[in-house]
Amino acid sequence: MSANDQRLQQLLAHPSVWRGRSRAAVETLSTGFAALDAGLPGGGWPRHGLVEILTPQPGVGELYLLLPVLAALSRTMPARWCTWVSPPHEPYAPALESHGVALDRMLVVRPPQGLAPHSSQGLAPHSSRRRSDGVHMILWACEQALRSGACGMALAWLPRASPRAIRRLQLAAEQGRALGVLFRSQRFAHLASPAMLRVALEPMKEPGRHGARLTLIKSRGGSRVPIDVTWTAAAA
Amino acid sequence: MQHPRSYRLTFPLPGSSATPSVLRVRPVSPPPKGPDSQAALKLEPRELWVAAHLPQLAVLALRKPGDTRPLVVVDSDDHNQRIIDADAQAQADGVRPGMTLAAALAAAPHIEPRPRDATRERELMQHLAALACEFTPQVSIESPDGLLLEIKPSIALFGGLRELCRRLRNVCRADALLTQLRAAPHFTLAPTALAALAAARAGARCFITDPAVLPARLKPLPLAVLRWPEEHIARLAAMGVRTLGELLRLPRAGFARRFGPQLLADLDRLLGKRADPRARLAPRERYRGALDLDHEIEDHERILQALAPLLEQLEQFLRARQRGVTALQCRFHHYRAAPTLCTLRLAAPEASAERFACLLRERLASLVLPEPVRRCELRGGALRPLSLESRSLWSPGEHGHVSTGEMPSLVEHLRARLGAQALYGIRRVPEHRPERAWCMAEPVIAATRPDAGAPPCPPRGRPMWLLAAPQPLESQRGRPRHGGALQLLEGPERIESGWWDGGDIRRDYYVAKDVTGAVLWIYRECDGARHWFLHGIFG
Repeated sequence: MSANDQRLQQLLAHPSVWRGRSRAAVETLSTGFAALDAGLPGGGWPRHGLVEILTPQPGVGELYLLLPVLAALSRTMPARWCTWVSPPHEPYAPALESHGVALDRMLVVRPPQGLAPHSSQGLAPHSSRRRSDGVHMILWACEQALRSGACGMALAWLPRASPRAIRRLQLAAEQGRALGVLFRSQRFAHLASPAMLRVALEPMKEPGRHGARLTLIKSRGGSRVPIDVTWTAAAA
Repeated sequence: MQHPRSYRLTFPLPGSSATPSVLRVRPVSPPPKGPDSQAALKLEPRELWVAAHLPQLAVLALRKPGDTRPLVVVDSDDHNQRIIDADAQAQADGVRPGMTLAAALAAAPHIEPRPRDATRERELMQHLAALACEFTPQVSIESPDGLLLEIKPSIALFGGLRELCRRLRNVCRADALLTQLRAAPHFTLAPTALAALAAARAGARCFITDPAVLPARLKPLPLAVLRWPEEHIARLAAMGVRTLGELLRLPRAGFARRFGPQLLADLDRLLGKRADPRARLAPRERYRGALDLDHEIEDHERILQALAPLLEQLEQFLRARQRGVTALQCRFHHYRAAPTLCTLRLAAPEASAERFACLLRERLASLVLPEPVRRCELRGGALRPLSLESRSLWSPGEHGHVSTGEMPSLVEHLRARLGAQALYGIRRVPEHRPERAWCMAEPVIAATRPDAGAPPCPPRGRPMWLLAAPQPLESQRGRPRHGGALQLLEGPERIESGWWDGGDIRRDYYVAKDVTGAVLWIYRECDGARHWFLHGIFG
């Protein structure tokens, strides 16, 4: 290999250079699933950035996918917290604990519904702005958690969000060096999103197996074939 | 009984140029007895007292911004309505303290008499004391208009005595309230509290650090500065004693016989021959401040601007005590409607006005005001010790910097906007009933190391999500359905518990998979109609 080639290779290995077909060198966290690690760019979830997980409905296995990384992050020192913003149900403490998650590091945020939006006017707000309050609050809380630097991870369940809002979250996650995970409906799969990594999750329908089929809708050099991940759900 | 002459040696005679060295080497005969007289010979300042005297406090306390007429303060308890104090303008018109109101009105009919407000006077002195607390913890109020600070231990801290005094004066000059009232406290420095106070009351320049020169410097002061009872002063005047110098020349025994040992002890304290301990002023435990607005406002940013001086005061109040608060309440008073309360709770004690303003901005954003605001009131919660720590050089996230200090601020920030209930931590409870096996808890903000050992054996096979309330499932021939027929994977697991506290359950739990592939945690009641319920999702 000539000297020029070598220099070119060095340049291309730089983390901020990304080529369409190449795997970008990003700081990653192991997902805990060998098959998924192999398929994801860099060999795991990005250490900081925004990941979108798109599911046909909530509760089809998306949390199992994240349990290993949740358990690992909750036990790091110095302490960093994990914020759950607007989860669909109550995160069940015994199950989390049995999977090795440190409960002390969990913080649940439930923005109250129908709160007045941020406005400079103190008197009763106009009703036209009230509709989107819930989503605004979720986005705001998630952004604060990601940006603060206190959280290693923030999970958010979003009913809907504009690409601009997601871009803000992505920037907040980079600034606060946190991993943000957005759980959204599959309906949004065709819409563009500034998230770093987008994963569509389809539960396995076979009776004997617990797991999911993951398709990377958007990734910087990840696998283009669906990845099957299995776990021992109920019997765990 | 000692001979009075033996004590006259310790006082420098008027007119004599007794230097400290002469006093120190000369043996006093007969030798003085008792620890107090011993201390008088050791001519080193053990203490250094700064006294601040607020002249015309009674007038200052009643002064209002728009006053134009000469102000006189009247003793409302006295049936003659004697004048206690009069401002410079009234005094120029011939009004003197001690006159009756009728006489004063005859002399100057345009004066404005007001009854004395002792509470307000006390508040003013406390305000001054709060400013002084920045320099030393040993601050006491000498009622009604004097303030005493023992500053000897603080000298090194402030870079010298002169620098400390300069800063003390500057703090008083810069203070908004004192400036507004045109109040200029008179400061003096002396090795004893009473000497400093006496000089301050006389309005004399006094910056004495050497106890040896104290008697000589006190000599010209009039007797009135001692604030002794009127009849004693009159008797002394009849004896031809009008200044402190003349007073100190009197023989001790005779003085004690005529005026009692109390006054003699006072004199000893004045010269530092007797210990003069002062009770420290206990700082007020809560902050309270209020502000009447010039005009009604309803805009959040403007309200926040209006609150800024109160927040500054709060910060000053807290910094002087090295304390912080974890709760803060704002009351917004309206014209008709009941006051709006806005309470701010903080995860960790805080004392910075900037931070309070930042959190209040979030809190105010979600506050709905029924009417414009006329008056703001700010109340601080109980004082908590403030942990003083240095700020990090890097901002969070920068250069891989991770600090646990951000967690309390994140919790506060979210709570300020979303309310206190919107945030919680979760905890496991050792309990068999699934809905009681966890509880909400205050978020843990201490960065403790999570226990690395095995958790105390939580039950296996529990779902990640628990529904807030079990959701009834329809059933077909005894088989549960959810969207379609459910496929039972595992079970049953019988949970039967709680007969002792009224929350009795008997259930058979199953793990089931629905048609979409979601794994559910369902149960069937063992009693009654044996209905099926959905209780959790394994997702």
